[in-house]
Formats: sequence, C-alpha cells, structure tokens
Amino acid sequence: MLVSYNWLKDFVKLQVEPHALAEKITRTGVEIAEVKHPATGLKKLVAGHVLNCIKLEGTHLHQCMVDVGEAEPIQIICGAPNVATDEMVIVALHGARIAGNEKIKRGKIRGIVSNGMICGLQEIGFSDSVVPVKYRDGIFVFPKGSNIQPGEDVYHALGMDDYLLDFDITPNRADTLSMEGAAYEVGAIIDQPVKVEPVNLKADGSDWTSTLTAAVDAKLAPKFYLRKVTGVKIVESPLWLQTRLWNAGIRPVNNVVDVTNYIMLLTGQPMHAYDARTFKTGKLSVRLAKPDETLTLLNEKEVALDPADIVITDGNQPVMLAGVMGGLNSEVMPDSHEVILEAAVFDGTLVRKSALRHANRTEASSRFEKGINWDNTQKALDMAALLLRNEASATILDGVLKGSDTGRKPVMVKTTFSYLNKVLGTTLTADQVVALFNRLNFETQVARDQLTVAVPARRWDITIPAHLVEEVGRLYGYDNLKSKQPLLAETQGGYANFELFMRHVKHFLQGQGLMEALSYSLTSKARATLFTKAVQPVAEVKMPLNSSRSVMRQNLLTGLVDAASYNFARKETELAFFEQGRTYDHADGQFNEHEHVATLYSGHVYRNNWEHDEAPVDFYFVKGQLENLFTALGLTDIEYRAEEIAGMHPTRTAGIYVQGDYVGFIGMVSHALTQTEKPLRNSELYGYELDLEQLSHYLPTSTQAKPAPKFPAMSRDLSVLVDQSQSNQSVMAAIRQAAGHYLVKLSVIDVYQGEHLAAGKKSLAYQLTFLNEKATLTDDLVNEKMAAVTTALETKLQASVR
Amino acid sequence: MDLLEKLDQLRGRGLEKINAAADTQKLNDVRVELVGKKGALTEILHAMREVAPERRRQVGQLVNEVRDLFNEQLAQARYDLAQALVAQKLAAEKIDVTLPGKRLSLGAKHPVYLILDDLEALFIGLGYQVVQGPEIETDHYCFEMMNLPKDHPARDMQETFYIDNENLLRSQTSGDQARVLEKHDFSQGPLKMVGPGKVYRRDDDDATHSHQFMQMEGLVMDRNVSMSDLKGTLEMIAKHLFGADRETRLRPSYFPFTEPSVEMDVSCFNCDGKGCSICKETGWIEVLGAGMVHPNVLENAGIDSNVYGGFAFGLGLDRFAILKYGVDDIRDFYTNDVRFLAQFRQEEK
Ligand SMILES: [Zn+2]
Repeated sequence: MLVSYNWLKDFVKLQVEPHALAEKITRTGVEIAEVKHPATGLKKLVAGHVLNCIKLEGTHLHQCMVDVGEAEPIQIICGAPNVATDEMVIVALHGARIAGNEKIKRGKIRGIVSNGMICGLQEIGFSDSVVPVKYRDGIFVFPKGSNIQPGEDVYHALGMDDYLLDFDITPNRADTLSMEGAAYEVGAIIDQPVKVEPVNLKADGSDWTSTLTAAVDAKLAPKFYLRKVTGVKIVESPLWLQTRLWNAGIRPVNNVVDVTNYIMLLTGQPMHAYDARTFKTGKLSVRLAKPDETLTLLNEKEVALDPADIVITDGNQPVMLAGVMGGLNSEVMPDSHEVILEAAVFDGTLVRKSALRHANRTEASSRFEKGINWDNTQKALDMAALLLRNEASATILDGVLKGSDTGRKPVMVKTTFSYLNKVLGTTLTADQVVALFNRLNFETQVARDQLTVAVPARRWDITIPAHLVEEVGRLYGYDNLKSKQPLLAETQGGYANFELFMRHVKHFLQGQGLMEALSYSLTSKARATLFTKAVQPVAEVKMPLNSSRSVMRQNLLTGLVDAASYNFARKETELAFFEQGRTYDHADGQFNEHEHVATLYSGHVYRNNWEHDEAPVDFYFVKGQLENLFTALGLTDIEYRAEEIAGMHPTRTAGIYVQGDYVGFIGMVSHALTQTEKPLRNSELYGYELDLEQLSHYLPTSTQAKPAPKFPAMSRDLSVLVDQSQSNQSVMAAIRQAAGHYLVKLSVIDVYQGEHLAAGKKSLAYQLTFLNEKATLTDDLVNEKMAAVTTALETKLQASVR
Repeated sequence: MDLLEKLDQLRGRGLEKINAAADTQKLNDVRVELVGKKGALTEILHAMREVAPERRRQVGQLVNEVRDLFNEQLAQARYDLAQALVAQKLAAEKIDVTLPGKRLSLGAKHPVYLILDDLEALFIGLGYQVVQGPEIETDHYCFEMMNLPKDHPARDMQETFYIDNENLLRSQTSGDQARVLEKHDFSQGPLKMVGPGKVYRRDDDDATHSHQFMQMEGLVMDRNVSMSDLKGTLEMIAKHLFGADRETRLRPSYFPFTEPSVEMDVSCFNCDGKGCSICKETGWIEVLGAGMVHPNVLENAGIDSNVYGGFAFGLGLDRFAILKYGVDDIRDFYTNDVRFLAQFRQEEK
C-alpha cells in the first residue's frame, strides 16, 4: 500500500523527513520498498483558466487564451477533445518539464504561436490506471470549487507534493494496509502519540432495517453489516478525495464509489455500495455459489462461478463476488438515488481462492485474504455514511442491518520478562519493556517477572509469547541487539561418509577435465526413463508448467544430452561434462531418490592442436577415463557386458558390473536420438552413468601398505587367435585363471582382425607380467604358467596361441 | 735433402693438414699419416741412421718436439670438432617455445556449487553437520511440521509442484529442519546443522525466476540460543560472502516457521549504498531470511519450547551466485553453456 506522508500527519506528529522515516519503518516494522514523490522532475506546471477557446476549422485543434496569473493571458494551441472555455486546467509554461523529463517550449503549431501546453494527468506522470475515465483521453479539468488560482503551482492541489511510502508488507502485517493501522505503527516506531478519532453518527431518516431480510451464512461471513442512504447525488468527488485515492493507486470513479474506497484506505475495512434497486424483492443472501451460476463483474469480466465462491445475491441471482468485486447488475449508476452500504468480514481463504480462480485480485480481496480488523466494521460503515452525507447530499436512514455478527474474544498474551530477554539476548528491565508496549498502545499488567499484554483487535497477528518477543525486539531495535556467536558445547562439524564419497568423485572428475553441469530434475516423460536399465514407475507432478518439465528424471544423462544440444547449437562441440545429482522414481509405492553421476564427452582428446593429433573422443577414451576413476576409488572386480539400454547405441554400450552387481552403463548415445535432435545430427556423444549408492557398497574400507616389490618382474607376450564373437574379457578371464597368482598385470597390446586372418577370426595380443614378491621368479616357473595359459585358451576358447 | 729440412717441412705441412681436417674421420687419417706407427715422423726416425752420430741427439729432440706439437694440435682439433658437432645438433633441435601447448579439456566447478562448497566449509569449521533430506517431500514435513497451515498460499497447487495429495517437490529445504529436530538427542549436545539442496516452485522460468534452485537451511538449537547469536551468525555469513566492508541491516519479516522473523540486507556492492538500479535505488540488497524457530515447529517435533530454542536461516545459493558474480539471468545456471561455465575457475578455494 502507498501510504501518504501528508495524510499520516492527520494522525501522528511527524518530525522526521520522509526518507528517514521510511528507513526507520523498514528497520522496525514493514519494508518501505520505495518513497515516491510525484512532483520530482517537474517544473513550471501551473493552474490556468481557459478564458476563450476556439476550434480551428478543419483540425482537431483549439486556440485557447489562458489566464496563468500573468498580466496578460497567454495563447496555447491544444488538441485535447475536452478543452473548453471556463475550465481550470494544468498548464505547462514555456520552459516547463513534464513527465519523462520532457521540456516544453514556446513554438508554432500550424503557424500559430503556442506558449505552452495544456496537460493531461498522464503527461505529468500519472499512471494510466489512476486517471479518472473522463480525463483519460484528454486534459485534466479541476473540479468546480477547487481551491486553486491561475498561476499557482498545481503540485499541492493534485497531491503531488506528497511523499508516498510504499509499504511492502509481509502477510502478518496486513494491519498496516490502512492509514489508521499505518499510523499506529509509525507512532510506535517514532514514539509519538496517535490520534484516531471515533465516529458519532446520528441518522437523519427513519429505520430501514425491516425492509430487507439478509440471510447470511456466518461461516462464510462472520460479520455482515448494512446501512442505507437515500437522496444520493452521484457526482465527481472533490479534489481532496480524488488526490488521496490516486496517490494510493486507486482510480477515482464517482463520489459513492470513491467514498467506499476512501474508507477502505482509512480503516482497512473493504466496503461495497449497491444500488438499492438491486434488492427489489426485499431479500439478500450470502451463500456459496451454485454450479452453473455466472456473474458479470464491474470490470465487465464474465465469470463462471465455482461452488467455493462466496456470493451475495438478491435472493435469487448473484449480484456480487463477495470480498472480490461487485456485479455489474448491482452497480451504482449515475441515476442511483438509494444506496446500500456493506461492511463485512468474509472468510479470507475462500476470498483468496476466488480471486485467484478468477484471476481477479483486488484491493478488497487482498485485504480479506490477509485479515482485517474485526472491530472496525461498524466504524467503517458509519464513516462511509457520514462522508456520503457530506459529499453526496445523502440522507442516512436509521439502523444497521446485521446479517451476521460474530464476536471475537479479546486476546491476552502472557509471558515473562526473563523469557523475552533470553530469546532476544538482552537485559531489558520491566519498565523498558512496558514502555515499548505503551508505544504500541497495548495495555499491560506486570506481576514480578510475569507480563500480561492485552492485544487490541487491530493487531490480530499477535497471539503467542513469541509474537511479543518480536514486538519488543523490533521496537527496541534490531540494530541495538548485541552481535555475537552462539556459545555452546563443542560440536563436530563435517560430512557424512557417503557425502564424502560423492565429493571425492566430483573432485576427481573435475580434475580429469570435466566441467560440472547443473540440470533441471523435471523433464519430459519420454526423457525421464531413457538411459535407464530398469525403468521404474515415474514421479510425475500434477500440474506441470509444461510437458517438457513434468516428470522427475530417472537418469542424469538426459540433462547432459540437453546441454550438449544447447552447446552444439552455439557451435561449441568440444564438450566434457559431468553432473552429480539425484534420480527419482516411484518404485514399490514409495518415492525414492538415488545419487548418480554421469558424464558426457564429444569432440577431441586434445583441445587446441596445431600438431594435428586429432584423436576423437571415442568409447575407449571414455572407458579409460572411467577406469581411472575406478582405480582412484579402489574398486576392483569390474565387468563390462555388451548390453542394450534405451537411448544408447545398441552395439556400443556396456553395462557395468562390480562384483556381479549392476552399477551403471557406458557407451555412445544412440543415432536414433542424435539424428532427431537437429544440432546433434551426425555427432558422436559418449558417456557413462553410475549409481553412486550402489558403487559405495564396494569401496575398500581401509588401506594396508605393502613395500614396493624388491624382486624383478618378468614379462611375456602372447598372441591369441579366436573367433570374432569372443570378447577380450573372456580371453583375459581365461588367462588370469590359468596364470596363477604370480600374474600381477595383464594388458592388451594388440587387436587385429582383417585380411591376413581366416574369416571370422581375430587376433589379440597380450603382455603378461609375473612377479613373486618374496623371491626371484625362475624362467621355468614362468614357462610352466605360460604353458598352462596356452592349454586353457586352446581347450576353453578353442583359441590358437602363437 | 737434409733430415732437419725434411722435419721442418713436415711440421709446416702437418699443421696445415690438421687445420684442414673437416671431420673426425679426416682428422684420424691425418693423425695416422703424421704420428701413426707408419707415419711421417716414424719414417724420419727410421732415417736417423743416415744422420751423423753427433747430430742424432739434436734431430731426435726435434722429432720429439714435432710429435708433441702434432699431438697437442690434434687434440685441440678433435675438441673443436666435437664442440662444433654439439652446437650443430642443438641448433637442429631448436623449437619455437612460443607455440601453444597441447591441452586436454579443463574441468570447472559449477558457480552455484562454488557458493555451496564455500559455505559448507565455513559452517563445518563452526561445528555444523551437513545434512541432506529428500527432495520429494511430504506435505507433512514440508508444511505441516513447519507451521504452514492447510490454507497457506504456499500449499496451493499453483505455487508448489504436487505429485499427489501427500507428496510434493519441496518448495523449501525447511523440511530438513523438522526431520533433524525429531531425531536430535539434546543430551548428546546442541544441534547445529546446515541442509543444502534443490528446491522447486511453480514459477515460469525467466531472468529472475526459476522453477528449480538451490537453498541452504541452517539450524542452531540448544537451551540458550538468542537472537543476538543469530545476528552475529548472519553478519558473519554476509561478510564472508560479500566482503568484510559490507554494512548489514536486519529488517522484521515473516516466515511461518520462525518468530520473530528477519531478513538481512547488505549495503549495495555496486553503489556502496548510494542507490543504483541493482539495489532499486535503496542502497541495500536483500540476501537472506532467518529467525528464531517458531514454538509450534518445536512442539510439532516433540521438543519443549520452554526449554529449547534456537535460530534458523535460509540461504538462496543461486541468488548468492547471482549477486557475487554479477549474473543477470538465473537461467544461465541451468543451460550449461560452456562459455558461461568456464569463467568461474579462479573462484575455487
Ligand atoms: Zn546500489
């Protein structure tokens, strides 16, 4: 809410300038997002009296003689449709500055001298949303009887010399969404008394309450009060009233509507005015809407009502969406004479949901949603009636019709001074604390350490001792609190073991030259279950923002492929990404999260390369990177099995098994996927994904040091001719098994298949390294082992050994 | 010809030949020719019989002198040739050291994780445990236990991604608080934890909104933890991240799970508090929210709020990264553009 500094002065003595006040309020109560001063940047804008106005033939222009308080009237050419003789208008003189820092100069329009400009409100900085409709497409005309003379600056009369404090409230401080509430808050902050006047209404007419029956569901509207005024003359509001509204961001409409809005600004109680002709049948009800009911709102939006919307009806059809906006069918019209005023308390949650449902939040609905002062219903109703007597010549009929009237018990909160001091870390005395509550106008009772605070209804946010801590803390000043560190028993900080393991993996991959990516967990249903060996039921959100972010991923690789596509589209094709994060599923009826890591590579091994060593990243490069990771983690007994996984190349992908258990996969992203993703077309992407939880089960627990070998190792090479279908892994397994425990290293040194070999055969060459840690190996022993290997290969794999 | 004359000629011719030898092979030939077993000097010695006995001594002396001279000059020539060879080899091996090196890909940490790791290190040093909770959270832990009533706006389908009526993508890391509070045994000492992780809100992605981002929750709980302790802790966090010369201020705020609640602002690092577009002319930038844990949260977790109390804070890690590194679009953290990600390496600590 925009709170007027000048209006505040009606309630509190302000000896602090607006910006300093804003800073104090921000630090003590409610954040002041901004202090607006509408006159800022404007110059030489004065009131002018149009003495004579002639339409220029064949144009839309008017030639005006305007009294601007100088010896002679000045001539201004004005194109506004509503300029006319005898109007009091806003004149930008020669040398004036208007909105947008635009300078106005004397000039000629169609050869005729114009000594300035007659302005509309938008031209001097008003937002379109607050300009009264009749001035929206033309110049502003001061209402008759406005207290302003030709030549006088317009800023004061238009409220532009004011400072407007933008109260950016938190949901608990809706009590400041009114001038009275803001005044109480400001008074407490600057320690000044606040004067809020009570209302004394004497009705002019007879009792009207028997002419209407109001059937109100008190659950929907705990309080529902009505008053009736007659003899109303609908006119434009006086300028003082209009300025207060537009300075608060509300568009003036007519005196009746403006009064209801003004009372809302003043008291925080939303008001509504009905044309009394709405209730011809003498019936009114407050109920939930029925299915299929519709209502056209004042803003001409037709809404299909929901059975959770509260409506006010004329006994038959809805005439208002309660707490949100009136219906067009009950609107106060220029010919309205009898008006029914409503002040009510509606269920905040239902109002909020209505406003949200129909995308129609209003000043009223936002107040009901956050809560209003239950003690202000009567006062608001009476003040509105009184103002209509003044500004609309209304006759106030006697009696308030109370459709419902639920009371609220006064709130008493008990606490102790020692509790307040303990939580705040202060040493305030009872007198100091009581003085702070006095500033809030809260009554207190003290009995030794005990403190009882009577909380007025205007502060419905305060119900428990912790709330009192806040009141004391903020008014004492958070700036005045000591700043210290908790002095507690020592605790040991750190990570859980699994967290340490994940951090090790991340650091390793980063050191290996991979860039850390961060992707969205939500993806499309199709992508969520790609790159997944055992697809589980998915975790899918109910109302996704779009279908490509609707399901929680079961793999990380999909995010990295997205990243690759994004980068490829920007000609960045040398990529090495890793991501560590979770995957999510709904297996076995519960929601599960698994920590994974994935990598994705594309391009070349070397990044800048004038030596033309253009080795592309391929399966074996990536596998080497992965093998190094496994070595660094101390993982052994790893097996790769050719396997098909959705999204991966069917003949270039392997499942990874540790001690026989599946932990992830490695391979190339399928052509089927890269060919359909335009930027990735014809690219080769390689990567792997590991389930870190699974992996963590096989980590070595501790390291026992061994001395470096003291005896020499012996190496032998071996060439094996096998069927092409035979995998290296099976050959190696056979060698290992036969070679015995002196075999410490087995490496592939050559792979050949081609014209020099029989069809369907391939040749694999290995180097075997033998070592006895306790003695020097003999040739005989090694020869014996090599012979055993040869026999094993020949018999088990039908290989021929050379 | 007189033997002495011959010797004199040999000396002159020999020195010329040594000088003229262009490589070690030729030099060796010269050596054999001059001082070898069948060389010129040996020849002269063989001719000594023709010399009168009284002059033999003189001639013998001269022969020795010439041999010494030849050997000395041969050694020098051999050395010079070797030196020249080395120089030639080195010249041939010369490379252009200004050409660039051959580089493998270079790793980098994601900027949001830079902030996360930096903060975790800070808190671990202060004795906080790092705790991780589920991202698919129950309504119970995310909201009910955290004192957000059933009709609280955050519990709207519009605001939070619900999976079903009971399960949702957590919109805040606060659920970790509730889980830890339920489990903590205060007889084992105070509770100090931070809980970092991903959170999700039903916001359309734009420059300042992201449906996914990272938060870090902090919680300190014991018998005597005050708002002064909170203030000191928050100031330390702010100064650690944004510099010791930053001013800070606490403002009253509102969160359902803390009471009192505050937000902390730091003086704008762009304009130093004078007011600019980054701080929306206020001179201050909001960096975090915090407060004293609401008694209802404690009671919900079965903790006596008359005995125990403490503070909690929530840090927006993406927001910190945005502020610290001057990022103007939060989506940059999630598109994984390598050109963007490559610029933060020097921030690693
Ligand atoms: Zn700034």
